[in-house]
Amino acid sequence: MGSRSLQREFSRPTVLRSAIGPLIIAALALGALVILALLLSETPGRTLRYFFLGPVQNTYYAGNMINTAIPLIFGGLGISLAMRAGSFNLGGEGQLYGGAFVTTISAIALGSWGLAGAVLSLIFGALTGGVLAGFSGFLRKQWNTNELISSFLLSNVVVLLVSYLIAGPFQDPETNLIATRRIAESFRLMRILEPSNLSSAVYFALLAVVLVHLYLYRMKSGYELRMVGLNPMFARYGGIRVSWYRIWSMFLSGALYGLGGGFAIFGTYYASVREFSTGMGWNGLAVALIARFQPVAVIPAALFFAYIESGARSAMLHSDVTFEIASIVQAVVFFLVTSSLLQRLGTKRRSV
Amino acid sequence: MNTVIIPILRSAISIMTPLLLAAMGGLFTELSGMLNIALEGLMLMGAFSTIVFAYSTGSLLQGVVLGVLSTMLLATLFALVTLKLKANVFITGLATNLFASGLTVVLSYRLFGNKGVVVFDNIAALPRISIPLIRSIPILGDLLSGHHVFVYISWVLLILVGFSLYRTPFGFRLRAAGLHEKTLISLGLKPDRYRFIAFLISGAACALAGAILTLNLGAFVPNITSGKGWIALVVIFLGQKRPFGLFVAALIFGFADAFSNYAQGAWNIPADVILTIPYLFTLVAMVVFSIYTNRRSRVE
Repeated sequence: MGSRSLQREFSRPTVLRSAIGPLIIAALALGALVILALLLSETPGRTLRYFFLGPVQNTYYAGNMINTAIPLIFGGLGISLAMRAGSFNLGGEGQLYGGAFVTTISAIALGSWGLAGAVLSLIFGALTGGVLAGFSGFLRKQWNTNELISSFLLSNVVVLLVSYLIAGPFQDPETNLIATRRIAESFRLMRILEPSNLSSAVYFALLAVVLVHLYLYRMKSGYELRMVGLNPMFARYGGIRVSWYRIWSMFLSGALYGLGGGFAIFGTYYASVREFSTGMGWNGLAVALIARFQPVAVIPAALFFAYIESGARSAMLHSDVTFEIASIVQAVVFFLVTSSLLQRLGTKRRSV
Repeated sequence: MNTVIIPILRSAISIMTPLLLAAMGGLFTELSGMLNIALEGLMLMGAFSTIVFAYSTGSLLQGVVLGVLSTMLLATLFALVTLKLKANVFITGLATNLFASGLTVVLSYRLFGNKGVVVFDNIAALPRISIPLIRSIPILGDLLSGHHVFVYISWVLLILVGFSLYRTPFGFRLRAAGLHEKTLISLGLKPDRYRFIAFLISGAACALAGAILTLNLGAFVPNITSGKGWIALVVIFLGQKRPFGLFVAALIFGFADAFSNYAQGAWNIPADVILTIPYLFTLVAMVVFSIYTNRRSRVE
C-alpha cells in the first residue's frame, strides 16, 4: 500500500526548508483561483476581492473562519496519528457525524448532570468514532482486510444510519430543520468573539494539538506507534506489538474525529442537523496531508483550508460564482501536495 | 417466485453494467501498479460531459464520444501529476474526485444557472437491443434480451479486456509494470508509459460507466455516481483482479442493489436504511474474501 511510501516522503522536515514546498503549493492553488475567476465570473475583480479579503474583513467573518478550522484540526490530528502508524483511515465522515450524533443524544439524556454530563457526552462521542475506526484496524490485524476500503464503506453505512435516526426516531418535531432536539444551554460552550460563531472549543482544539504532539514525540507508546509506521518488521523485532498498534492507532484516529464532531455540537450547532458535517471528514484528511502529519503544522493547514472555504462562501454571497469553486482550489492543493518534485525544491541539497 | 426473482436478476444485470465498465477501466491501472481511487470522479466527469454534449449536439453517439474524450482529458491531468510530478497516486486520486465534483457543479451553474438537478428533455432514450434466438427462450430471454445497448457493449469489452491483458505483448508489459517494473526497465521499456495508457483507458471506461447513469435518467444530478466508483474499486479486489472475477463480483453487487430496491418498495423500509445495504454487503463480502485468502496464504 501507499502508506509507507507516504511516510518516507514526509519524513524529517527542517522547519524553514519544509515551509517552501507548502508555500509554493498555496501560491499555485491561489493562482488557479485567479484563473477560475477570470474564466467563470462576469465580475472577476469583485469575485477575487471578496474571496481574498472576505474572510478577514471583520471579526464576524474572521471568527467564523477560525470556527470552521476547529473540526478540521481534530480530523487532521486523527489522520496524522493513523498515518504515522502506517494505517489509512478513510472513514472520517462517518466517525465525525456518528460522534456528533452520540454526543448530542447523550447530552440530551444527561441534561441534568452538569459538567460530568458534558464530559461524559464528549467521551461517548469520541468512543463512537474510535470504535468505528478501531473496527477497521481490527479487521486489518485479524485478516489483513484493507482498512482503507473497510473504513470508507463502514463510514458510508454510518452516515446513512445517522441521517435516518436524525430524520426519524430522534427528530425534534418542534423545528422545521431536520434535526435532533437541542442540547441544554448549560452544555453550550462560550462564544468568545461575538458576533461570530467562534466558541471556546478552539482552546480544546489547541490543547488536542499539544497532547497529540506530546504523545507522538515524548511518550513511549507514541514512539512505538511511529516505529510501527516507519518499519513494521523492525518494530516487531524490537519487541513492539505491531498488531495491537494497528487497532490502537485507528482507534485514536477515529476518537479524535468523534471528539471533533462533539465539539462542533457543543460549540456551534447545539443539535445534530442532518448532514451538517458533510465534507468535514475529507477536509481533515486534506489538512493532515498539507501538514505532512506533523501535529503542530495541522493548525496553519486547517486555517488555510478554512480560509479557502470562507473565501468561496464570501465570493458566492457577494459575486456571481458558486461555492463549489472551493472544491476546485482544494483539488489543486491535493494534486500538488505530495509531489516529490515540488517537495524537493525545499530540500534540494540532500541527495535522494 | 419467478415474478420476484427474475425482475430482480434482470435489474441486477442492468445495475451491474456501470460497475463492470468502471471496474474494467480500473483493472488496467490496478494491474499496472497504480491504486486508482479516482474511478468515482472520472465517472462523474463522464456522466456530466456526456449528457451535456449529447444535449448540445443532439446526438447520443457524439455525446458519448465527446464525453469519453473530455473524461480522458481529466485522466491525462491525473496521470501527468502522478507520473511526471511524482505525486502520491492515492492523494492525486482524491484530488481528481474533488476536482470532478467541484467542476461539474461549477460548470452546471455556469451553463444552466442551476446547481441542482438539470433535466435535458431532448435526450433520446438509450437504444434497447432484442437478441434474436435468445429472446424466445423462456427465462433466459427475459434475463438477457432487451437491455440497453451499453449492457452488451460491456460484455464485448470484457472479452476484449481479457484478451488484451493476457494474450497481447501490450498486456504482458502492462502487468509487468505492476508486478516487477525492473524487468520492463531491463528490456528498455518505460513502465510509466504503460501506466499512462492505463490511466487513459480507465478514463474512457469510466466515461462510459458514467454516461449510462445520466443518459438513462435524461438528467444530471449533482454527485450522481454516489459511491459507485468506490464500489467498482471493491469489485476489482473482490474479483481477484481477473476479468471473469470482475463480472461475478459486479453481478453480486448488482444483485444486492436490485434486491434493496425491491425491498424498499415491498417492505416499506426507510430509504436511508435501504441505501446502506450495498455498502454493508460489500463490506461483508470483503471481510469474507480476506478471511478466505488469509487462510489460504497460511496453509501454503
